[in-house]
Amino acid sequence: MIILEATGIKKRFGGVIALSNGNLKCQKGKITGLLGANGSGKSTISKIITGVYSADAGEIKYEGRIVKYKNPNEARKDGIAMVFQNLSLVADLTVWQNIVLGAEEKNGLFLNDESAKELSKEIIDQLLPSLDINKKVYELNPGEMQIVEIAKAISNRPKLLILDEPTAALEQEQVKSLFNYMRKLAAEGVAMIFTSHRMWEVMEICDDVTIFRNGMDVATMDFSKECKDPEKIISYISGDTKKAKVEKSRKVLTDETVLSIKDLNYGKYLKNISFELRKGEILGIGGLAGQGQNELMLALAGNYHGVRCIAEVKGKRVKLNKPANAIRNNILLVPGDRQQEGLFLKHSVYTNMIFPKMALKHQPLFIPRKKYREECEQIIKTLSIKTHSIDTIVNTLSGGNQQKVVVGKWLSFDTNVLLLADPAKGVDIGAKRDLYDYIVRQVREKNMSVILYASDNEELIEYCDRILIMYEGQIVATLEGDDINEDTIVAASMRVRDFGGEHVG
Amino acid sequence: MNNLMSIQNGALQNVYEKYKKFIIAFLLIIFLFILGEITVSNFFSLAQILLTIKLAAFIALFGLCQMVVIAAGDGGLDLSVGYTATMTAVLTASIMDGMNENLWKAILVALGIGLVVGVINGVLSAYVKLPPLIVTLAMSNILQGAINVYTAGKNITGKPSPVLTLIAAKSTGIFPNILFILAIVTVVVMIILYKTKWGLMLFGVGSNETTAYLSGVNVKLVRCIAFIISGVLSSLIGLLLIGNMGIAFKDMGSNYVMPSIAAVVVGGVSMAGGDGNYLGVILGSIFLQTLTNLLVALGWGDAGKWTGFGTVLFILLIVYVSNRRSR
Amino acid sequence: MNKTVKAQSNINFKKLISKPEFSSLLILIIMFVITAILQTNFFEIKSIIRNINAFAPLILLSMGQAVVIISGGLDLSAGAALSLFTCVLTTIMKKNDPTTGIYALLITIVVALLVGVINGIGIGYLRIPPVIVTFATSYIWLGISLFLRPTPGGEAVDWFKAFYDVGAVKGMPEFIKAIGGVIPPALVLVLIGCAFWFVISKTRTGRHIYAVGGNSDSAYASGINTAKIQMIACIINSIFILLAALFFVGQNQSGDARMGDPMTLKAIAAAVVGGVALAGGRGSVYFGLVGALILSFVNKIIFFANIPNAYQTLVGGVIVIVAIAGSQAYTLYNKRAMLKESK
Repeated sequence: MIILEATGIKKRFGGVIALSNGNLKCQKGKITGLLGANGSGKSTISKIITGVYSADAGEIKYEGRIVKYKNPNEARKDGIAMVFQNLSLVADLTVWQNIVLGAEEKNGLFLNDESAKELSKEIIDQLLPSLDINKKVYELNPGEMQIVEIAKAISNRPKLLILDEPTAALEQEQVKSLFNYMRKLAAEGVAMIFTSHRMWEVMEICDDVTIFRNGMDVATMDFSKECKDPEKIISYISGDTKKAKVEKSRKVLTDETVLSIKDLNYGKYLKNISFELRKGEILGIGGLAGQGQNELMLALAGNYHGVRCIAEVKGKRVKLNKPANAIRNNILLVPGDRQQEGLFLKHSVYTNMIFPKMALKHQPLFIPRKKYREECEQIIKTLSIKTHSIDTIVNTLSGGNQQKVVVGKWLSFDTNVLLLADPAKGVDIGAKRDLYDYIVRQVREKNMSVILYASDNEELIEYCDRILIMYEGQIVATLEGDDINEDTIVAASMRVRDFGGEHVG
Repeated sequence: MNNLMSIQNGALQNVYEKYKKFIIAFLLIIFLFILGEITVSNFFSLAQILLTIKLAAFIALFGLCQMVVIAAGDGGLDLSVGYTATMTAVLTASIMDGMNENLWKAILVALGIGLVVGVINGVLSAYVKLPPLIVTLAMSNILQGAINVYTAGKNITGKPSPVLTLIAAKSTGIFPNILFILAIVTVVVMIILYKTKWGLMLFGVGSNETTAYLSGVNVKLVRCIAFIISGVLSSLIGLLLIGNMGIAFKDMGSNYVMPSIAAVVVGGVSMAGGDGNYLGVILGSIFLQTLTNLLVALGWGDAGKWTGFGTVLFILLIVYVSNRRSR
Repeated sequence: MNKTVKAQSNINFKKLISKPEFSSLLILIIMFVITAILQTNFFEIKSIIRNINAFAPLILLSMGQAVVIISGGLDLSAGAALSLFTCVLTTIMKKNDPTTGIYALLITIVVALLVGVINGIGIGYLRIPPVIVTFATSYIWLGISLFLRPTPGGEAVDWFKAFYDVGAVKGMPEFIKAIGGVIPPALVLVLIGCAFWFVISKTRTGRHIYAVGGNSDSAYASGINTAKIQMIACIINSIFILLAALFFVGQNQSGDARMGDPMTLKAIAAAVVGGVALAGGRGSVYFGLVGALILSFVNKIIFFANIPNAYQTLVGGVIVIVAIAGSQAYTLYNKRAMLKESK
């Protein structure tokens, strides 16, 4: 029996279309899997169903009536619960206090702690029996925290439970317990939507699977009728068309190593990363979202004081413990979150562009206004930044133009290594093309070296000479030459096939 | 075509946004003067205006200290400015002893005090990461205590050097001399903030510390220096205070702390940091002094002054700072 | 089996020690012992009562402050509010008319609620940084206090003295006087405060105060009305301040617009010393009491060490900085230790 039916969902964020035509059906007591590459829309449609976002168009029918939730609380009252990734826990409270947070039962005037503990114990025992519900959440590791988030969503006795990548932080044993619990819930008639990037999980627990690509659902496979074929699923995710690799006019790759990284380690985010970057090379960093790519870019830019690694720029040892060091060695970063990390939103284009110069050692006390303004005008032309004037405040510019400003501020610097952390995210097609045109030109004409992390595999395919795939903080695969295409990237990202990295599970 | 139009409209809006707060501050002052003229005669006379601006100058100078610390971001405020100034006034009174010869010694002492206070405030706030409000409040208490110790049982003797009296208390014709100081300070400050790399670094750090850090700026050092500047400036203002009053006494500076912060808010300078239009602070100071005069003229005295300040500050905080956007 | 039990109890012991509450209790015991040694008549009833009377106001203020800090706020207007309440009380009361005492009490309760509501609206609903908004309101309270009492003064009805010394009230029955001789009203006020918080802490609101201070986004995502909770915390603080005001007026029968000024910072410091984290979400209100006791004992020790009066403000300020810096460093150290362990 169908409990939820989403039809024709459209959603755009600024200039980017997240969903052009999203359709999804869920049945009572069945576990529906959602699969798709980064940016395919699978996460967006889940968030629309629970009310985190609102759809621009389309209809959602829940239990036969049309619904449109303004926030997750409304959805929750209707019986739809979503398990986030650590978005709703209070670290200083205990496990059981968090599980009942916001929905505590009362005994007259006072809290009924007994029933809260009982309820929590009941749920936790089935998910992770060794977990002490009296522990404070800050004492837990990420896997345990995720379990608590799941328990919290379940404690509301939802009719539709959406689990968005719940297994990302879990270990094998915990995943098995979770699946057992999910089967129990299914037997009780609860409908579930389950997203994961681990193929074997989807095949094990889901009754059916809907695959998203480019903002719409492209296939649905019912496992009670069809057989589970991972290769088929991959081809749905990546698209059947094996695009012929555009023959880029090959630049001469010198043998000179511009950047050498050995044994880069940072806490739990980055483990044993080693690679070399040649002069004139565009090295891509790929993989599923959140596997440490952004952290790697920040680490290379010197943002982490406690990072441990042996780094050499053109043969010279460099300490990557503060951004000033990286910049002085001409390792320049275009950060992943341009608004939080790359711009001064309330200041003008001009101010943003000249700011990094201020930290340089030989910067004159009085800012050479005329010279810098001319430089700025020049950069605007070079990158085709659409702005009324260089004094326009940056937060009035479109995403694409903002990103150009972020890139633009490094233009007057000599660049050894340009680090690009998902530069085209949220950027319209025209600006994206401008940016990449410029970068490719610099690489060809000046032998600039680039490390490019892109969440959109197309960008990796089109521009990179070599791609390193990251998974859980490590490099698990290296793709080169003819090996670079959508299929291989997806497969390596999901650890289905072995590409010379770690042994696949 | 539409894109271009909207960009132009955006630019116009920018101009409006930038000067909106100025205009508001200015209108508020005019409003007060009109109110004053209605209720109390002779409120709107040249002599009164000049006197108001003279008194406001001191608020504005303290306001500069606040503005620098606030501009550095992270919720910075300096509550120790009042007692730093007082400390300097009290200690240098007997050094100067009414003569000009020892003025240079007094200035050295002032610089020393300001440096010590500023460094302690700066290190504790920027490096140890204690809340600036509590650090500077505690520092203010410590200074107050130190002054108590120093003056225990005896009167504070000593008079300011005549130079100081000339600058702070006297006038050239009808123009109070302090206004010249204020004008010079304003010009210097605006030049430093808007034309030099230091100003730009300060604004960057206050505006977005992550972006500033990723651009290679030493954020902690900049914030620490902001406190040092505030300490040294407030200490030097102490010299002007004693020049104006002729003697030093224990509570000389403490009444300036609140107005110095209020002047920054009224002047439209962002409390979140990244912004530093000193002209706004001056306008804010004039507004507050006018408000004080009006309340005094109406016979509401100290009570009215503080209630008025508090209410005005609260209302402006609602208008400028509150964050009512729903999540 | 034995090994694991022993290992577990070792871990539990380590956890216990690393809690800030443990160290503040330890410090309290040390201060207590030193003071007892220095003050020769420490254990005499009269001197115990005198100490309780001296300590009670700070205890009440710091407990109230603790509630606000735990909810994610901070109240810099606490001292000014205290002054305001004393001025309101002593302006409404007329010495010779006992019923004015009741009016005064009722009206001051309303004033206290208003103070809490205004601060709460600023912090909770308008989301102005608590430090700045309570800085502003502290001047509003100061101004109103000056309106009511430009100079310290005012009057109090006779029975109001019961808040300080039961025996001072004319016509008080003997047996109550006897009890009052052993259990001073100051202690009763503190106990009332504790009972008040005890009740609240067992309700949903009490739990939510911790949630909102701990992570207001998570609290909001769980359906909690974070603005309302922060406002309630401000109101609770007001009630604690009111209790302290009752004590002061009972003691001095006068109101003073500036009497509360030095107490604001001390109250915050006491809460922090007692283990309440300035970031919010953590700590115990009862340990605000412990922190207040520690600071009070330290003050006594300074007094007995014969440090001249003039130095006391100075040393007081230094102690505050050392106390808060110490607490901060301690929290940071613990956080790092925990991160290392969990890896």
